[in-house]
Amino acid sequence: MPPESEKQGTEAPIPTGTGASDAGSGIESDGARVIDADAGDGRQGGGPWAIAWRRLRRNKVALFSLAVFLLICICCLLAPVWANHVADTGPNTTHTLEKLHEGGEVKEVVEPSGKAIGPQWFAAGGKFFLGADGHLGRDEMVRLLYGGRSSLFIGIVAAIITTILAVIFGLLSGYYGGFTDTVISRIMDVVWAFPVVLLALSLGIVLAVGGLVIGPIHVKQSSLWIPTLIIGFVYTPYMARPLRGEVLALREKEFIEAAVAQGAGTTRILFVELLPNLMSTIIVFFTLNIANNMLLEAVLSYLGAGVQPPSSSWGTMISEGFGALYSQPLLTIIPGTAILLTVLSVNVFGDGLRDALDPKSKVRFEARAGTAEPEGSAAV
Amino acid sequence: MKKLPFFLLVAALAAVLAVGLAACGGGSSTTGTSPSTSEGGSEGGAEAEGGEVEGGGKEGGTLKGAYTSFPDYMDPQISYTAEGWTAMRPVYIPLLTYKAASEEEGAEIIPGLAKELPKVTNGGKTYTMFLREGLKYSNGEPIKAGDFKYAVERCFLTNSGGSPFYTDIVGAEQFAKTKKGGIPGIKVDEKTGEIVINLTKPRGTFPNELALMFVAPIPQKTPDEDQSAHPIPASGPYYLTKSEPGRGWEYERNPYWAKDNGKQLTEIPSGHVDKIEIEVLRNQSTQVNDVESGKLNWIFDPPPTDRYQEVKEKFEGTQFRIEPTISTYYFWMNNTQEPFNNQKVREAVNYAVDPAALERVYTGQIKGTQQILPPGMPGYEKLELFPHDLKKAKELIAESGVKDKEVTVWTDSESPNNDAGTYYQGVLNEIGLKAELKILNPDNYFTVIGNLSTPNLDTGFTDWFEDYPHPNDFFGPLLAGESILSTNNTNFSQTDNKALNEKIDKLAEEQLGPQQEKEYAELDKAYMEEAVWAPYGTRTLSLFVSENINLETAIWNPTFETELTSLEFKE
Repeated sequence: MPPESEKQGTEAPIPTGTGASDAGSGIESDGARVIDADAGDGRQGGGPWAIAWRRLRRNKVALFSLAVFLLICICCLLAPVWANHVADTGPNTTHTLEKLHEGGEVKEVVEPSGKAIGPQWFAAGGKFFLGADGHLGRDEMVRLLYGGRSSLFIGIVAAIITTILAVIFGLLSGYYGGFTDTVISRIMDVVWAFPVVLLALSLGIVLAVGGLVIGPIHVKQSSLWIPTLIIGFVYTPYMARPLRGEVLALREKEFIEAAVAQGAGTTRILFVELLPNLMSTIIVFFTLNIANNMLLEAVLSYLGAGVQPPSSSWGTMISEGFGALYSQPLLTIIPGTAILLTVLSVNVFGDGLRDALDPKSKVRFEARAGTAEPEGSAAV
Repeated sequence: MKKLPFFLLVAALAAVLAVGLAACGGGSSTTGTSPSTSEGGSEGGAEAEGGEVEGGGKEGGTLKGAYTSFPDYMDPQISYTAEGWTAMRPVYIPLLTYKAASEEEGAEIIPGLAKELPKVTNGGKTYTMFLREGLKYSNGEPIKAGDFKYAVERCFLTNSGGSPFYTDIVGAEQFAKTKKGGIPGIKVDEKTGEIVINLTKPRGTFPNELALMFVAPIPQKTPDEDQSAHPIPASGPYYLTKSEPGRGWEYERNPYWAKDNGKQLTEIPSGHVDKIEIEVLRNQSTQVNDVESGKLNWIFDPPPTDRYQEVKEKFEGTQFRIEPTISTYYFWMNNTQEPFNNQKVREAVNYAVDPAALERVYTGQIKGTQQILPPGMPGYEKLELFPHDLKKAKELIAESGVKDKEVTVWTDSESPNNDAGTYYQGVLNEIGLKAELKILNPDNYFTVIGNLSTPNLDTGFTDWFEDYPHPNDFFGPLLAGESILSTNNTNFSQTDNKALNEKIDKLAEEQLGPQQEKEYAELDKAYMEEAVWAPYGTRTLSLFVSENINLETAIWNPTFETELTSLEFKE
């Protein structure tokens, strides 16, 4: 049990949190089965995860979004297959002087005026499916798929980094309180004080020049790890602080007292008692972070501080396409659409996941907005 | 109400997202330091008031222009780019200068602040000139003969890229090292305005070099550090009222020009407009839109590759004119370190780089060449030592034993130089090197690659436009060993071939004639046989003005490009 002096005021759970401290959320438990009091379907039983899954299954929009996201991921993962077996070119291979044979017609990939060939769909057997990307004549479809791999890699890995850092800081800060809490919270405040884009941009520009050197580790300036680490870092406070708030509330609960009384060590309390009760919050944040990370990656890459050319990401593709916005608007619209679909699908799925894991948060949301039905009317 | 189909909704949202992201770039902004409206009620937001002149144009008004990037420096002794020289041409006048005219006439040297062309004696080693009397700077201070001496010394004090032009002045080399005691080879008499320059050896290009911006007289109290943000008082028809690096600068008429300097410097045009406002507008497409709408009257850079053909077809002859340049575009290779210290590697690069492909990258705005001297320069004889042959390039790399060697390719982010860099990186990877691309902001690109302490200066893009119509200008600053400087270096390949250095020095001493031209052609071949660079083309540029600017009277000088003093509003 933390010392009495460290029992400070708790922070209100954040709206997107699972409300793990709310009795009857369906998830709060140290392993025991609970009644799904507000499932709304009158059914009982099953573990908290099973209940959440049942709720999620009923949310067709969320499932459709998940399917879209998975489809995008699969397409991007299959980029080498498309590149090697259909387009027969790499993402950075230039075709400035090449000619394309379509039936009896011969087309130049890049005209002498510098204008690149438009979408060919399957007319050339899948080559230049979405056209070429300007004067260099690179295959836009291949770059889109490889760019998606970069964007998804950054989005997902940065979300993992954010999650790991936020969980560690949130648990330590919330559980220990006192000096530890003060130090961690103030560090988080400092990071939080900077606008995300500005901080990420500054770090991106600095690291894009010389790379990152930490002891024996040298990350090259062109490495995808640079934007990944930056994005993972700058979003950490946005997840760590709500987690800290939840830990502050949870540590006062009886099951923690019971664990302390049974002689459980700090590590056990943190990772066996507290962490499972934070899982729903973590999962929801994780999905939403993927979407935010991808957007931030696009912004950074557009501004030259993210993925470095000639590697592609959807952000760099928008940046490159912007130079030909007038004559070839598709070069900007296609990667823009890819970002839109991915972020939208992740966000909608994340919302569905939040509703499934913590339906009360939705009620709280609506109550704040004044759109909630009278209490009790939602439950059957 | 009929529902919007889902795919249309998605497409619309994608477009919004794409445009939203695009808007994150500063380049998309159409706002600048100057408002687009004016009280004069003139079309397009540019004030075009004032009296009519004989040329059919109007005097007065505010000319609004745009650059894609801020010049390297807004300081006459340090700037060494076409951007800087075009901008400062109407502000700082050297003792000698080039005629404000197009084509060959524009290469003619005329007296500037000096009364007449220099008297050359002592076997070509002594130059004597007299400063005109009663000249004043824009702040009212008199222009003194000593100001010229200080300008030369300031070149060395600021480690200017132009300082190698003046190392043949007696004592200059020592001054370059010590930065103390002044340059004894320049003697001035403030009473008579006499300026005597003693050289250690004859230098055939010296009159050309006296006409460069580097030695334009400035007040002796000017600090010996970059003054880009603190405009130095002007001697020309305009002075800089403000200069904000990265953002833009503005001119007004020099109040002492009409009553003092201009009366004597009759060959230097006084300019037609009262004010000039230049903003840095990163987005070149926006620049084109703004010229079309009349928000801008002139742009320094040619239309972006995306818009070039359209602008050419629509406005050629009325608002748009293609202008030839005497320039060489090339990829420099650091001859002093691996892998480019190996001649086979450099030859391989030359075989691998295809000028025809780069012609398309530049949307037809370059013409492929593979040599140091560009067409139009005395001494040019067409060379084709490295016809495109990728197979041979790969063989040479295999022979050289540097396969998979990591190299850094440098370029700037201005289109299509960024694409040229990307193309070049692809070529290097294809022949077996491991190239990494580094793209810098064009504002500081040359400053960074011209600083020898910058790590990984392996290879990259650059270009060179003539400083003056003499072939030595393509050898002295770019290839002579003495031009390798720790900062503001222009010999990016760090070429230092003793035998060829001597040849450059020997030719520099002689007056240019048919024999010298032949020898320069041989020098060109000698350097290309060593494959010191991978040249790929010579550039055409363009002049694009708004509808209310008189294109016919606009002058394109071969050295200074657009003569800002020649731009006038139509009647």
